[in-house]
Amino acid sequence: MGSKKKHSELAKREERTAYKLLIPALVILLVIAIYPLGQVFYTSFTNRQFASSQETEFVGVDNYKSLLSMTVQKLEQEVDPDTNQPLFDEEGNPVYERPIAVLPREPIRYREYKQFSLFGNSYVLGATDVDFIDAIFNTLLFTVSSVVLELTLGLGIALVVHSNFKGRGATRTAMLIPWAVITVVSARMWEWMLAPNRTGFFNTLLDAMGTGNGRIAFLASSDLQLWAMVAVDVWKTTPFMALLLLAGMQTIPDELYEAAAIDGASPVKQFFSITFPLLKPAMAVALIFRTLDALRVFDVFQVLLGQSQYSMATYNYFQLIGNRNMGLASAIGVVIFIIIFGFAIGYIKMLGVDMDETA
Amino acid sequence: MRTNKMRWLTLLLVIMLMVGLLAGCGGTEDPAPEEPAEPAEPAEPAEPSEPAAGDVSITVAAGAVGQELELTQAAAERFMDENPGVIVNVLDTPDLAQDRLGLYLQFFEAQSSEVDVYQIDVIWPGDLAEHFVDLNEYGAGDVIDEHFPAIVENNTVDGKLVAIPWFTDAGLLYYRTDMLEKYDFEPPTTWDELEEQAAAIQEGERADGNPDFVVFVWQGDSYEGLTCDALEWISSNDGGNIISPDRMITINNPKAIEIVDQAAGWVGTISPTGVTGFGEEDARAVWQGGNAAFMRNWPYAYSLSQGADSAVAGNFDVSPLPAGDSGAGAATLGGWQLAVSKYSENPEVAAEVALFMANYDNQKIRAVEGSMNPTIMALYEDDEVLEASPFFGSLYDVFINAVARPSTATAPNYNAVSTAFFRSVHSVLTGDTDATTAFEELELDLQDITGFDIE
Repeated sequence: MGSKKKHSELAKREERTAYKLLIPALVILLVIAIYPLGQVFYTSFTNRQFASSQETEFVGVDNYKSLLSMTVQKLEQEVDPDTNQPLFDEEGNPVYERPIAVLPREPIRYREYKQFSLFGNSYVLGATDVDFIDAIFNTLLFTVSSVVLELTLGLGIALVVHSNFKGRGATRTAMLIPWAVITVVSARMWEWMLAPNRTGFFNTLLDAMGTGNGRIAFLASSDLQLWAMVAVDVWKTTPFMALLLLAGMQTIPDELYEAAAIDGASPVKQFFSITFPLLKPAMAVALIFRTLDALRVFDVFQVLLGQSQYSMATYNYFQLIGNRNMGLASAIGVVIFIIIFGFAIGYIKMLGVDMDETA
Repeated sequence: MRTNKMRWLTLLLVIMLMVGLLAGCGGTEDPAPEEPAEPAEPAEPAEPSEPAAGDVSITVAAGAVGQELELTQAAAERFMDENPGVIVNVLDTPDLAQDRLGLYLQFFEAQSSEVDVYQIDVIWPGDLAEHFVDLNEYGAGDVIDEHFPAIVENNTVDGKLVAIPWFTDAGLLYYRTDMLEKYDFEPPTTWDELEEQAAAIQEGERADGNPDFVVFVWQGDSYEGLTCDALEWISSNDGGNIISPDRMITINNPKAIEIVDQAAGWVGTISPTGVTGFGEEDARAVWQGGNAAFMRNWPYAYSLSQGADSAVAGNFDVSPLPAGDSGAGAATLGGWQLAVSKYSENPEVAAEVALFMANYDNQKIRAVEGSMNPTIMALYEDDEVLEASPFFGSLYDVFINAVARPSTATAPNYNAVSTAFFRSVHSVLTGDTDATTAFEELELDLQDITGFDIE
């Protein structure tokens, strides 16, 4: 009895010490994470202006409303005022009302985002902040396409440098170079390569191959901009992806492959039965890293596209520095945070399932 | 229990990433008090001359484009020679106006006394007026009449002289004298004429075996430069000034729509499709490589185009921009001013430095050595200045009649107004929409931003 009591007191003392030892970490977390985030949350409910003496007022959820409100309105077919007959254009297509006449303007104005048809009716999708909705869409498309490409290419590269060949060490080091270059620098480099005339590498290349007229505007035409961003990002981050996957591959014991080879499994069979399942945890970690990183992409968009196409982060920067809307910019920050949080939770859930399968 | 460990490891990783995100977000959102100290680091103090007790130190935040920094540092030296006991440091700032504004705003947000004198763009006095002293109270009243009245008016907010004009800029048409001679043209005086000549020259040059030839280059990227270019088109076509000085939104008018649609027709014909991604330097690169016959640009390109590495040296000249329906060309007013921070510890000395740098002698040195347009009218009759840049004399009218962007009327929302405008024009140039639709929408956007009435 006595010894047990003594033991639990000792345990309590140790517990107290442990808590005391945790304090520095908690304080640091509080100062560098919780405080700024709390500040951002609070500011997002105000109309605060950056670098201005204007009184800050509490505006509730107005910032979020003006960022995220969307509406769908039906477009009626135009009627000829003389004959009262529905109007058709020269090609026989019905003429609809113009969206600007239909979308509500009070209390906040909706702008046209997209028109679409459903069951023979025409509709317009309106948003209060078309640029931000575009930015979200751009970022998501960028994230999905770049991460998928990076995973595929990274897996291929990892498999190659995992095999035994002469100069493997040098290859592994060299392949990391794109990742080590500062993004702003590599973005500038790509800016030159994507130049809209034959001073640019890609225009020269395509011209020499006989396609394109040597004047393709990769960074100025809205069809190509986003894909140029994906290309830059894939070039830069594939090595990082490959490195993470390579680390995962090295934890797979060679005996498994030896046993499989004795059983007569082909290399392809070995890949799908051994490498792929055992690589899943490493792959999941790599995916989380890259996805969360890609969702907050800033530098590539800022350097190459400036204000012609936004990512969520560059739109945030523009609202803060360009328009000095600190309240609105904070709300954007919070929305980005929530989106990324959603992705993180999703991945953890997915990963949990995967882990149970492998166990 | 490897599973569990892995799950913990993953969770930990995710938390680390999230914290990284917060720190990243917090960095931009949160006015961390230590932030303004950082930009001060790249400061290049101009030869600290043995600091003695009681010395006053003044910091000037100035541009570093081309020879700018060198010239400003030389002026600081001259001031220090004349005023022992004062140390003038020159802080170099980012080249892009938008980045420079971002840096300045961080100083203002912290009410920092780090910088005493700021070099500010012609469009900023309205937005930033509250952070600067009234220079009229520091002796600017005696010299201000020597400067261009339009710029002085631009720099005066509610009767307060926010900044002293330092150098000015206006849009010009650069043309190739050899090309015009070859095809027997006179420099174009209207946009229609420019179109005709450009089409003929383009056809001829491409047939002559230069597939990279594009004729007319200008600033079409989605940025402040496009506001300048588009304002020139619209103003030269009698389409108003986007927002009038008496605070009416005038942009949605047939004249403005007509000329912007016309300009959209240049993209992919007489101008390359890539022009919608061009800034000043992109245009100059094509021009200086000898691949264009016309260029819209600022005066700074003149001395550079005459340089040894330029393919067009000696074969070009400048003229006023072509006219539209108004019968006269319009040039957008650019340029930089010096303002004294309200948070300075020595505003009197700082104002002295600002007025010194912008005086006759110092503007003359900048004009002769850096071909920067002075803001003092008398300098346009100075022989040494005219010898260095002959076009200063012949284009005097362009400089004094330059059209100001509506920055004072729309303060403190000019940047939002300009962004809405250039994004709208950009969408017309890229063919995403036409000017009629774009300006109908823009008009309402501008009303949301400013609250002004639509004319």
